[in-house]
Amino acid sequence: MGETGDPSDAELIRDGILAAGVTHVASLPDINLVELIDLLEHDERVVHVPLAREEEGIGIAAGTFLGGGMPAVLMQNAGLLNACNALTTTALQFEIPMLLLVWYAGHLGDTAFMRLGEVTEPVLRALGIRSFVPADAAAARSLIPQATTLSRQAMRPVAVLLTKAALRRSAG
Amino acid sequence: MRRFDCLTAAATLVTDQLVVTNNGGASTEWAALGPADSHLQVKTLGLCSSIGLGLALALPRRTVVVFDGDGSLLMNLSTLATIAGRRPPNLVHVVFDNGIYEASGGTRTNTAEVRAGTDLAAMARAAGIAAVHAVSELAEFSDSFVGALDGGGPTFIHARVEPVRQKVPPVSVDEVENKYRLIRYIERTEGISILTRPIPASQAGRS
Repeated sequence: MGETGDPSDAELIRDGILAAGVTHVASLPDINLVELIDLLEHDERVVHVPLAREEEGIGIAAGTFLGGGMPAVLMQNAGLLNACNALTTTALQFEIPMLLLVWYAGHLGDTAFMRLGEVTEPVLRALGIRSFVPADAAAARSLIPQATTLSRQAMRPVAVLLTKAALRRSAG
Repeated sequence: MRRFDCLTAAATLVTDQLVVTNNGGASTEWAALGPADSHLQVKTLGLCSSIGLGLALALPRRTVVVFDGDGSLLMNLSTLATIAGRRPPNLVHVVFDNGIYEASGGTRTNTAEVRAGTDLAAMARAAGIAAVHAVSELAEFSDSFVGALDGGGPTFIHARVEPVRQKVPPVSVDEVENKYRLIRYIERTEGISILTRPIPASQAGRS
């Protein structure tokens, strides 16, 4: 909880992930994702799989979906670039849904990796993966279940890009 | 020892296990030997063990067998630490090590003695996987595979094989059909529903 007793941004996003029916989350940390990853690690409602490289996460997510779960991969946009071949030749080629929750380094409010920020959305467009940038954590809370439904209906990954505006308030 | 002989032996032992194969010879050879509907033919080099891990975590009561290769595992070495981190008891990871990139023209990998002689079994052990077997004879392979199917995993079987590929019929399914057949097989045998789709509002009946 935040200082005022309101949920923190990470808690709101966790609530969105749970409301989306996500059962398994594979993750690699960015410093801005640490609170969210910690919440998921200690939440018995999801299976958390810590990764060492993001491309693995796309494979784990694909296997999770085939086995009846609903997967999400939580990573920085550098990791999204690491995962492009797996996204193309597994997720897209086999038409497998998964939620990509991506810390948007190099976007407004961030102070590093400007080149990453520039290429992220063009790369997703080139892959044919739809992406959404929620204005804040409350918007992310409602957008994540909608994006997950879209992914299941379209049978392909959908990305939600998390900026500083969506992950600003940490636990008090 | 040849990979095809190992897979032939494995085919007499596999019943309701899910089988995930590396893109290359393991896929086409298993397609010729094993049950079709429980077989996922992976297309991303390196990713079969990750997909197998996802299946094993989603279906903890089902044994998942991965037939991987040395070039593939070298491309995704972090999978060993990730598998060790989650410790799925129902995952059997077999690596057929022929010392070459067989599907890409036969160039040597670094597991070849004339290159680095990289020891994948030692790497798996060092990654934290407890049940590791290194085999180079068919009887040893069968023994370790039988034991692995009994559980107690994750199990890693490093099988040194000759760099030969069996001539087999061409594969008859594309990726999307392969996926749907596997999903329907899992739905049928697990009694679960994976592909539930909401009825569009325009087609929903009025209550």
